[in-house]
Amino acid sequence: MNKNIGAASKGMVKRKRKNTGIAWLFNVPYIAYSMVFLFLPLGWALWLSVTDWNLMSPNYNFVKLDNFINLFKDEKVQAAFWNSLRYLVPIVILCFVLGVGIALLVSKLPEKLKGFAAVMFFIPYLTSGVSTSVMVKYLFSYNSALSVFLREHFNLNVNWLQSKASFWILVIMIVWKMAGYYALFVLSGIEGVSEDVYEAGMLDGCTGIRKLFYITLPMIMPTITSVVTLAAGLSFQIFSEPFLLTGGGPALATTTWQLEIYNASFTRFRAGYGAAMAIANAVQIFVVIQLITWLLNKLNKKFGW
Amino acid sequence: MGRKRKKIKLSTIIITIVTLIILAISLFPYYYMVLQSFLPWNMVDKALLPKSISLDSYRYLLGGNSAGSADPWQWVRALINSFVVSVPTAIISVLVGLMTGYAATHMEYKGKGLIYSSLLFQMFFPIIILLVPRYMLIRPLANNYLGMLLPLIVSIWGIFMYINYFKTIPNVVFEAAKIDGATHFQILLKIALPSTKSISIIVFLSVFMTRWNELIWDMLVAPDYKMQTLNVMISTQFNQNSTVPGPMYAASVLLTLPVIILFLCFSKYFKEGINFMLK
Repeated sequence: MNKNIGAASKGMVKRKRKNTGIAWLFNVPYIAYSMVFLFLPLGWALWLSVTDWNLMSPNYNFVKLDNFINLFKDEKVQAAFWNSLRYLVPIVILCFVLGVGIALLVSKLPEKLKGFAAVMFFIPYLTSGVSTSVMVKYLFSYNSALSVFLREHFNLNVNWLQSKASFWILVIMIVWKMAGYYALFVLSGIEGVSEDVYEAGMLDGCTGIRKLFYITLPMIMPTITSVVTLAAGLSFQIFSEPFLLTGGGPALATTTWQLEIYNASFTRFRAGYGAAMAIANAVQIFVVIQLITWLLNKLNKKFGW
Repeated sequence: MGRKRKKIKLSTIIITIVTLIILAISLFPYYYMVLQSFLPWNMVDKALLPKSISLDSYRYLLGGNSAGSADPWQWVRALINSFVVSVPTAIISVLVGLMTGYAATHMEYKGKGLIYSSLLFQMFFPIIILLVPRYMLIRPLANNYLGMLLPLIVSIWGIFMYINYFKTIPNVVFEAAKIDGATHFQILLKIALPSTKSISIIVFLSVFMTRWNELIWDMLVAPDYKMQTLNVMISTQFNQNSTVPGPMYAASVLLTLPVIILFLCFSKYFKEGINFMLK
């Protein structure tokens, strides 16, 4: 450790303030971590993406841009690309509506209940996707009370997790987990709006639902912007639920980037191809998030933020 | 006046009832999970009320008699493994966050901008790209606690929480200590750390929770059942155990309960912390 600091501070201490040596010492853990587990693997990933490495063999070939060209022909990649957008729309809308709805309700509760309710709504966020998957799996299994009930009373015999409904089951699981967490942010935004603003609005005859659309929501636009961006990013990180419940099916309808990258790299052992896929995923995330930020900024400007 | 007060009360009552109904729906899965874990095995997934209670599922997991499995204590070990990887990660994330955050806000040095850019870059970087190379890097440490721990031991999000917090503390507070002859390490430990209590608690708990619920990495780097975390063990077993779901519900309870209890114990610190999360 000491060697590093010596090397780092030698050139730096001379000129500016004498803080440099000790400051780099403070940064040593972070720098060491990001060198070994971020920048090194990042370079490695870029190199892997132009090879045909199979995760095991010591030999591999440089294949130029073949992996990237093959991405365009791969129906799994196409499914991951479109699905991430299909997930994004309902997840963002439902998280936003439920987050704002819960926050508005909680903000109107008596003071004594407020803190309690906010914490209780937050609890699903702490739950591992594995435990929710366990519940959902058994809830829809052939012998569960629900399946038996539907079979006996409605003559419905559906394998829900391999039906069209599976996409929506996953969406509901994710929204259930996240909505209360986002509500906490919105709530803290709402609490930050001063009473004066509402009183001024009241004098102008702004009440009820108009109060919501003309005062509350515009006043918390910065919070909404963060929540929408976070929820959008979320739809690119879905893994546990499709991995455990649907395997990406039926017919790739619920598959995600993370699942396909994992499968390509570690079940089909095409590590080079998997790396190329991950880079394509990153590009899509970057473009989509930029687009959403740009849209939200326009909206923010409209409200004078 | 009196009439108006009554009106307000009525709307408050309605809002309270509606909120509690939504809350009940949102927490129903926990009720269901806990209930199923305490039912006798022939009742699991067939009852919504606790008609009879049994500890069979917990005895199966924790009593050292997991019938038919290679290791009767595997579930206990998995639970311990989860703590072994989550606690150090949370502690180190707090320490690194504290140091890096302090340096980024209350110290002047060459290369500060560079480090800040690097932090920003990582904050928004999709780590899925690093999965394969990190796996290659760590493969010599497969099925080893160190291999599970190292790649996830620092939380960039945690560093930003400290940066956002330290930004709100005026430099004067630390300058005064410096004039009294305190070194930066003394300032960090004796002045900065105590003042960050609520942030440190939030970072600790959130990192603990994220690490506890990690699936992909632990699954890849520690496939041996002796090293599996509880999260991984449930995910590898529940598809095969669909005929005896009871223990899987009990395992899910063991997986969710520690995190929820920890958060509930410290929930009073959240109000302050939430303001630093969105900056």
